[in-house]
Amino acid sequence: MVVDKQKIRKLADNLAESEVRGRSLWADARHRFLRNRAAMTGLVVLTLVVLFSIAGPWISPWNYEDIDWDVLEDVATLGRPSLENGHYFGTDDLGRDLYSRVIQGTQISLMVGLIGSLIAVVVGTLYGAIAGYLGGRIDGFMMRLVDILLAIPGMFVLILLMVMFGRSIVMIFIGIGLLSWLDMSRIIRGQTLSLKQKEFIEAAVATGVRPLTIVTRHIVPNVLGIVVVYATLLVPGMIMAESFISFLGLGVQEPQTSWGALINEGTKTLQHGMEWQLLFPLGFFVVTLLSFYFIGDGLRDALDPKDR
Amino acid sequence: MLTFILRRLAIAIPTILIIIVLSFLLMHAAPGGPFSADRKLPPEVLANLEAKYDLDKPLPVQIYNYVKRIVVDFDFGPSFKYKDQTVNDLIASGFPVTLTYGFWSFVVATLIGVGLGIVAALKHNSWLDYLATGTAILGSVLPNFVMAPLLVLLFTVYLQWLPGGGWEGGQWQYIIMPVIALATSYLASIARITRSSMLEVLNSNFIRTARAKGLPSRTVILRHALKPALLPVLTSLGLSFVGMVTGSVVIDQYFSTGGIGQHFVNAALNRDYSVIMGVTILVGSLTILFNLLVEILYAWIDPRIRY
Repeated sequence: MVVDKQKIRKLADNLAESEVRGRSLWADARHRFLRNRAAMTGLVVLTLVVLFSIAGPWISPWNYEDIDWDVLEDVATLGRPSLENGHYFGTDDLGRDLYSRVIQGTQISLMVGLIGSLIAVVVGTLYGAIAGYLGGRIDGFMMRLVDILLAIPGMFVLILLMVMFGRSIVMIFIGIGLLSWLDMSRIIRGQTLSLKQKEFIEAAVATGVRPLTIVTRHIVPNVLGIVVVYATLLVPGMIMAESFISFLGLGVQEPQTSWGALINEGTKTLQHGMEWQLLFPLGFFVVTLLSFYFIGDGLRDALDPKDR
Repeated sequence: MLTFILRRLAIAIPTILIIIVLSFLLMHAAPGGPFSADRKLPPEVLANLEAKYDLDKPLPVQIYNYVKRIVVDFDFGPSFKYKDQTVNDLIASGFPVTLTYGFWSFVVATLIGVGLGIVAALKHNSWLDYLATGTAILGSVLPNFVMAPLLVLLFTVYLQWLPGGGWEGGQWQYIIMPVIALATSYLASIARITRSSMLEVLNSNFIRTARAKGLPSRTVILRHALKPALLPVLTSLGLSFVGMVTGSVVIDQYFSTGGIGQHFVNAALNRDYSVIMGVTILVGSLTILFNLLVEILYAWIDPRIRY
């Protein structure tokens, strides 16, 4: 019998192909996320804001610390937003270009948000996973500590830290990082408690894997979905905390600035009719935070479709 | 029930004590004492001052004395900055103000938030739902320090309806803006929580049963759906409470209302240890007690919780 080699090969190809390509949980989630219009809009807007904070300085003739002496004699009229003199967002009451100031503030606020949540994610995940995995007395002690720290209003502690150890960006990171992991650790502990009962953890224990390795290799990857969602929702919280502190004048100090500090400066010139000095930073603040919330909500729906 | 309350109290009271000790240690660790600022004092004077404020004793004795004074006499000691005022005086002058606008914000946030949430859930996917959800989402990115200047811009600068700050013994014109500024973001989160929990309850079996046996819609919602739907809201009230107390710092600073937040910021800037500690301890204890209250209420209302 003559074997039609070509046909056989075709059949083999077909067989290989028709093997149903399973969609992983992550691929499913990505699909759901991409179809979520609000989340995608949020992502686009956020990308634009980030691009603006990186590329913005290139199209401005002004630097964030230069003072435009020409507008100083009458800032309320000459300092208006205009394309002609290059102050796209106007100037602040000291004659500095607001566009450049907003870019600078955006950079710092975004950085605080990202680094703050990073600290929260790393510390909170490890702490919660260890407490949940070890259980018993250690768990009780670790969680009691979290309860106590949570009972102290965080903002008060943050203000105290800033006052005691000097107002600097580093102190903001430390302060916000110190406070923000608490909720995270609670959530992760709860997840770990239920994961602990699963067979694959039992198998790992039975084969003699060390506890710390079990936590980092088996538990942490399995709570990653929740971590991602929670981290996205944490970023706006961090930005808000920093802005809160800077609004009070206790956070980022001149010549550096952030959205909170800019909003604070903007409130002081309201009665002189310089609304733009308030509204531009405030607009950036609101729009960016909104997009973070939409992305976070979209991620949650995508990764955990049961929970609405 | 009584044992439940007692057991909770047995946890809450040591927590408050720990907060007192922790805040004491934190302030103790701070570089720069209250008398190290302006000009150098002669050593004898400094020694006298330190003796007066207990600063020359060993640390454990200081802590013990401090805790004892607070717990037994409810006395937070003298202010380090203002010689003629005690911390109790400052708290007594600021607390009623904070309590007044705090209370009204709490009422506004809870009532409107719950109302919006319920309407959104009942008219699921209608324009009313979208309106309510949209308000809730927008509100969640409008914290007090964003709302306050926006309100002033609208009501004071443009419309000139309301005064831009001050308290004047709490007349209504002075209360409106602080209350709205403080309430907005909590109103939003309460509305979101109410909506999602109401939706979940409306889809549950016992509601279907209630409808199936022919109860009118109003009875189904008021008698059967509302109570379980509001339980998650109750838990979130604890968080709102903390947020509002913290928000008073911004409100007092921005509207010059003279509440407890203003004393706190001033004290922090002046390194006025006793005032800072007093306010922190007071707020921390109130938070714990409030959460305790919420927990007891929760256990009392929810028959599924065994205590």
